Amino acid sequence: MSLPATAAPLLDADQIAFVRGGVSISVATCGSGGLPQLVRGIGCRAADDGSLFTVFVPEPKSQQIQRDIFANGAIAVAFTKPSTHRTLQLKSREARVTALTPADVALVHAYRDAFVAELAAIGMREELVRTLLAAADEELVGLSFRPSDAFTQTPGPKAGQPLKAGE
Amino acid sequence: MSRVRLDTIRECFEGVIPAIIGTADADGMPNVSYLTQVQYIDPQHIALSYQFFNKTRANILGSRQARLMVISPLTAAQYLLTLEFLRTETSGSLFESMKAKLSGIASQVGMSGVFQLLGSDVYRVTDMVCLQGAQLPAPPPPLNRLAELRNSAERLRECRELDRLFDETLNCLNEKFGIAHAMLLMHEAPARLYTVASRGYAESGVGSEIALGEGVIGVAARERTPIRISHMTSEYGYSRAIRSQTADAQALEIPLPGLAESRSQMAVPILGCSRLMGILYVESPQDLRFTYDDEDALVTLCAQLAMQMHILQEAEPETAQQPPVPAPAPEGAPLLVRHFTGNDSVFFGDDYLIKGVAGAVLWRLVQDYVQQGRSSFSNRELRLDARLRLPDVNDNLEARLVLLARRLAERGAGIAIEKTGRGHFRLDVQRPLQLQEVA
Repeated sequence: MSLPATAAPLLDADQIAFVRGGVSISVATCGSGGLPQLVRGIGCRAADDGSLFTVFVPEPKSQQIQRDIFANGAIAVAFTKPSTHRTLQLKSREARVTALTPADVALVHAYRDAFVAELAAIGMREELVRTLLAAADEELVGLSFRPSDAFTQTPGPKAGQPLKAGE
Repeated sequence: MSRVRLDTIRECFEGVIPAIIGTADADGMPNVSYLTQVQYIDPQHIALSYQFFNKTRANILGSRQARLMVISPLTAAQYLLTLEFLRTETSGSLFESMKAKLSGIASQVGMSGVFQLLGSDVYRVTDMVCLQGAQLPAPPPPLNRLAELRNSAERLRECRELDRLFDETLNCLNEKFGIAHAMLLMHEAPARLYTVASRGYAESGVGSEIALGEGVIGVAARERTPIRISHMTSEYGYSRAIRSQTADAQALEIPLPGLAESRSQMAVPILGCSRLMGILYVESPQDLRFTYDDEDALVTLCAQLAMQMHILQEAEPETAQQPPVPAPAPEGAPLLVRHFTGNDSVFFGDDYLIKGVAGAVLWRLVQDYVQQGRSSFSNRELRLDARLRLPDVNDNLEARLVLLARRLAERGAGIAIEKTGRGHFRLDVQRPLQLQEVA
């Protein structure tokens, strides 16, 4: 279900800024037998036109995730802002495991600071958040995908529906 | 023993850091979602809140399997749990306890009215793995609840009087568990609870009543299950608005004690076998004050309390009744004692004192005092008195006498009940009494 190159972008500029910000990132894949696998993301690179996303994850915590992606390419990534519960989810069947560039590593560092600031505002201590997001730079891998679908997942009646502009 | 020991990671289920659930559809497309509420059931079972029919739920109903990530708010350790879906419960103790907890969560995160519990989805956890990676050292626990529980149980065991037992329970909570705001309520069949003791409030509220099903206390009583809420919520508050419509109704209302801004609440049933004897209620101005471990400790303490209450209420010696001793007639301004037969309410002048069985008991005592000059009484004669209409079994007479003695002491109107031995007490009257029966 890959998108034709001319397809309208799934995310608007504000939504792209949202997934680049200090939001919680969760990744799921699907293994053989239909059993899902989970890992927390540590930052996201998003193309300006919303066509390509790369979520960074620690290699030791994502070995099964990487195997699932090699096997079938399916991925789901949810982004949520804890202070507002605004949530959106992207899905693709064409994910790949990629290496990080120095610019990506800088993105990861900036992401940690942004997420610490977001959670400090709701009373979560920095030490805990940094431990949760801890990973050596050289241990990180990227999970890159062109989303085929996007959904809003903010709690409420619209949760689960295809994401629309402005949501 | 299973390697799944959810009891060792219960801090992950307190709702501090949201859990993440992964599911997949029949085509192998994964879905990932954040969860508001994970409820610990036992070392191999949890329940998740079902609030909306969404992709997660559709996938679960299809595949009946899921993966859950929970995070320790103490160490940041990440645990991956493999789940097998068993069933959905839409009523009963698990559902009511999750519904109450969700109400607090919803209020805390500004989602009141959005978060509504449709069901409690029960899962077996078939695997539990701690992901390798950085962790913070676990902080030392604030106290050793097991040691304090043992000590408290020993102190309760030493109590020989019911009123002492009530006070000692609240003392232990304060001294051993650092719980400063608490109350004990006794069950009056079929559907009411009345306060017999409290700690940490400006007014004791002894004699105040609450209906089964009302607020945290009433739901815990109705469902015979602990209810624990970790954030402030108005949904489980105590509305007195309806009953205060008339001046008469207001006069009969003793305000229930309570914190104005209660951010953590827990109500624990006091059960003797399966019979509801009462409720222990604790609260705190702090969010997330009470944990799963606190709940366990208080449930166990209440088991000891129930046993001791049962023993003290049953163990009345078959001693001969004391011969009536005429009391010297008191002097001073007379106290008008009015009794309303409809609900057995007793007023001193225009001031409401008590109603129900305790009211009937007091009325019988003052009648005997005025008409026969008696001041010594036994629990046994009250039990045998047909006028009091006590139930044949489990009459809770001693608890009612504790309540009556405390109401009289708080009122300070010149009438007091003093225990003179096990099953015996004296009515101490400091003023002449003038009795008035109102039909």
